[in-house]
Order: sequence, then C-alpha cells, then structure tokens
Amino acid sequence: MDKPLALPIQKIITESERVKTYVFDYDFPGEPGQFVMCWIPGFDEKPFGIIKKEGKGFRISVAAVGDSTKAMHMMEEGDLLGFRGPYGSVFVLPEKGKQIAMVAGGYGMVPLSYLAQEARKKEYKVHLFIGARNKQELLFKEWMEEIGVLVHASTDDGSEGYKGFNTDLFKSNAEKESYDKVYTVGPEIMELKIAQICWEKNIPFEVSLERYMKCGFGICGQCSVDPTGWRMCVEGPVIDGEKLKKIEEFGKYHRTASGKVEKYPWVK
Amino acid sequence: MANLSVSLAGISLQNPTILASGIMGVSASSLKFVEEHGAGAVTMKSIGPTDRTGHKNPTVYSWGEGITNAVGLSNPGAEEGAAHLEEMKKILHIPVIASCFADTVDNIAKVAEKLLEKEPLALELNLSCPNTEDDFGCMFAMDPRVTERAVTLVKKTSGKTKIFVKLSPDASNIVTVAKAAEAAGADGITAINTLSGLIIDIHTKRPILKNTFGGLSGPAIRPVGVRAVYNLYEAVKIPIIGTGGINTGEDAIEYIMAGATAVGIGSGVYYRGIDVFGKVTEEMENFMDQNGYKSLEEMRGIAHKC
Repeated sequence: MDKPLALPIQKIITESERVKTYVFDYDFPGEPGQFVMCWIPGFDEKPFGIIKKEGKGFRISVAAVGDSTKAMHMMEEGDLLGFRGPYGSVFVLPEKGKQIAMVAGGYGMVPLSYLAQEARKKEYKVHLFIGARNKQELLFKEWMEEIGVLVHASTDDGSEGYKGFNTDLFKSNAEKESYDKVYTVGPEIMELKIAQICWEKNIPFEVSLERYMKCGFGICGQCSVDPTGWRMCVEGPVIDGEKLKKIEEFGKYHRTASGKVEKYPWVK
Repeated sequence: MANLSVSLAGISLQNPTILASGIMGVSASSLKFVEEHGAGAVTMKSIGPTDRTGHKNPTVYSWGEGITNAVGLSNPGAEEGAAHLEEMKKILHIPVIASCFADTVDNIAKVAEKLLEKEPLALELNLSCPNTEDDFGCMFAMDPRVTERAVTLVKKTSGKTKIFVKLSPDASNIVTVAKAAEAAGADGITAINTLSGLIIDIHTKRPILKNTFGGLSGPAIRPVGVRAVYNLYEAVKIPIIGTGGINTGEDAIEYIMAGATAVGIGSGVYYRGIDVFGKVTEEMENFMDQNGYKSLEEMRGIAHKC
C-alpha cells in the first residue's frame, strides 16, 4: 500500500511525559524491524517503527520532539492519520541457539519491543539492555518484564538501574553471557559502540540504521548510504553486522534533507 | 543477438536506458548502485544555485496508476553539487549526465558553469520541474523565448559538454519550445518531465502532498510521452531521450519507434525494482531477436512510416 490510508486513532495511551502510543484497529501488515510512513495531515509525513500486540490491529509510539510529532500529541481518539507501507528489511532471529540480546536507546525500544515479543513467543531467552535519560522514559519496561524478557535498565540520572550507558552495561554482561545474536536500535553513537563490541567478540548482530527519508520505497535516493548505495528504506533499515562493515559512513556522517553531508559531532 | 548500443549526440551508451533525473541521484554511491543494475547512463539529481531542503513530506507516493511527487528540488547547492559530480565521474564507468535548474536564466547559466568546470559528457537543463511554482514562478519550458535564452547563455561556456533540454508536457506547444532550444544550439531534448497534477484524500479532505500539487509520472503518462516524442521527432533533428512511464522493454521500444534515441527510466525503479534497467534491456533484446531487428537504428521512428 503506497498511497496513505487514512485510519482513525482507536486509542491513545500515554507512556510517559514525552511518549504516546496510538492504537489502530486495522490489520496492517508488517514485521519487526519494518516501518510505516505516517502522514500527519497538514504537517508532515514521517517513518515510524510498528508494533503489533494482542490480536488484530497495530500501534506506533511517538515522542513529541518536533512540530509534527507535537501536533500528533494534540490529536484525539477518532482523528485521522494516514499510513503507507510497510517498508524496509526485517530482523531475523537466529536459527540455531536460544539466547539473544537487544540493546535499545531511547525510542529504539519501539521496533525492538515487537521483536522481543516475537522472540518470546518462540521461547528465545531475551536479555534487554534499555537505556534512557530517567526512570520515566524507560519505555515498555513493564510490558517486557511481563512477557519474560530479562531487563537490564540503565539511566543517565541513576533513577533506575545502572547509572550510565547501556553500552557499558552490555559490554560487561557480554563477558559472562554468550549471545547467539544481538539486535540494536538507538542513537548512532550507541549503535556504533555495540557494533564495535560485537565485531570484536565475533557475535552476529543486526542494527537498524536511520537515514532521512522522502519516498520510503526506494526511488528518491535520499537514504542511500556510502559507498554501497544501499537504500535504508529497501536494503535497510535492518542491516546485518557483516554487511554493516561495508557501510563506511556508519557512525561518521549522514545526509540532510538537501543531500548535504553532515558529519556527526563526535567525529573529529 | 541484437545490438543495443547507441550514440546519443556522440556519447556512446552500451544500452539506451538512462536513469532519469531526480531518482536515486543524491550521491555518487547511489548512482553507482544504479550502474551495477544495468543502466546505460545515469542523470544526477538537479543542482540549483544554493542549498535547498525542498518541500516537507509527504513528497512522494504512488496513487496506483502512477506516482505523484513534489520533492521540491532539494539539493546541496552548486558548490557541493559540483563536488558530487566530480566524485560521480570518478567512480562510475558509464556516462554521467549532470543536471541543473535555477530561478532565473542568469542563475541557471551560473549553476551550469559551475558544473561544466567538471567537464561532464552532458548537462541536462531542467527547465520544466512543475513543483516549485510558489517560489520560482512559471517554468522556463513554458516559453520558447526563455528556453532559447537559457540555452544560448549556457552554450557560451559548455565547451565539449553536450547540452540536453528537459521539456514539459504542460507547455502549450512542446514542439515550439523544442525548436527554440534546437535553434539556440541544444544538442538533445529530454521529453517529457512530469505533468502537474493534484490528488485529494477524501477522508481527511486534504491534498496529500505537502506542496498540494505534484508531478505525475509512471505508466499513466506514457501515452503523453510517446505522443510528445512522436511530434518532436518530426520537428527537430537533434536526438530525443524519451522519458515517461517506461517499465518494460516493450514500453522502451514504443518510444524508440516514436523516434527516441535513448530512454529515460524513473518511476520504473519503483514498479520493477532497482534492476529495472537490466530487465528492460533484456526484454528489448528479446523483442528485437524475435522480430528480426539487429539494431535500434532499424526501429527508430519506424512508426512514422506507416
């Protein structure tokens, strides 16, 4: 489906001060890792990871960070949002082995929560390293605990769990546990650290790489990465750790809406 | 085996499929990816005088029979655009066609000059983007005199680089505009750009595109493109790149029979995937083998002889 399908918001759940979840009573296709383009009429259209939970329907969770997402937070049940998709590549669970880890920074928890749910249904042992600024922003922690995920929380202010980065928590944990595969979604600096640990320890992993998108279905070229030219809306956003080695811009720079190259602040 | 190689205004192409401007052309890597999937040549995304983010999303979607877009000419500006072009020339083995646009005739000449410093084999003047009326006024390709002035100015500094002019089907008489471009020294015509259109979502009661209006492309516009090429073939001597709704080898052959020398593919990347170039080339070969054509030359403009 590539033309926006207008759907009424069935239910709005307030997750935290910054995050709301929007539930739609429509059996939209889509697997963990994939995304939809969500049209906020009059404002913008943005990619969001999808979650499916309990039977029919789907949901997206949205943090109010910019004009359009703030506008979404003003919407009410019954208001219309437009959806097209699903787009992009999917997370793949390992065929052999039974213990996996997920490292989620901030809203990276959205696609990973859907994957964690599917992994638990298939009885994988799931360790989740979730990092947020404070206790209130640890998204879906209770839900994850309810379905039997082993949650290792970390917060910047120490209001819950480990005080510091979830990457450090993961690193020390990976010394004692053996993981068949690791999945990471979050700020690119966090993903880079996890990738480096996994490469070093030879652990298979997948990362969801975010790039600015216009069409979402592979023609505008806006989300193509260097030097492979892979489109993060078609060949990505989920990229396998071995393939990721070929994406030289990973952790270094991205392209803005104009196509200009913009280096990340941590790159000297 | 049929021979699909072609000489386009003196530029040798291994096959006649050319990636149309605005598709996948943001970076050198992206165009390299297109080359790997069989294109005969690629066109970079149009470069303007300064950095532009373009319109807000929604900028592109498919409406079933075609695609509607109003990206709004996002580009990194002439300086960085020229650097991108240099990188494209360095890593690609197939011809790279540069592309530019601007708000005034003088400015398009300036952007062209910047890109021409990198000595591309060809430069396409995008005089016909339909999505920027608000800030750019009427598109140049509506008016034969403005088109002629733009081509004349650019030709002053173009040197060995071939100048192609991309025309709009929305012009009241595309043939008159093409003749003006030819008279001013254009080396080729690209026909057609997208058609201006509007699609409204009846549930939210709003135009879907943020820009309200957008350019239509895809299979729905192919008869419009074929007609334009057919008319232009009788009116100008310079080669024509037939563009608009080409998804298959048969579609491409239709354009060749109308008189196109090469074919542009844009929306086809959506309909058949990135390997559309390889697929179209193979299908053209099969058709030619089955029907006893040995070269594209034998088919070019054949529909005019009936």
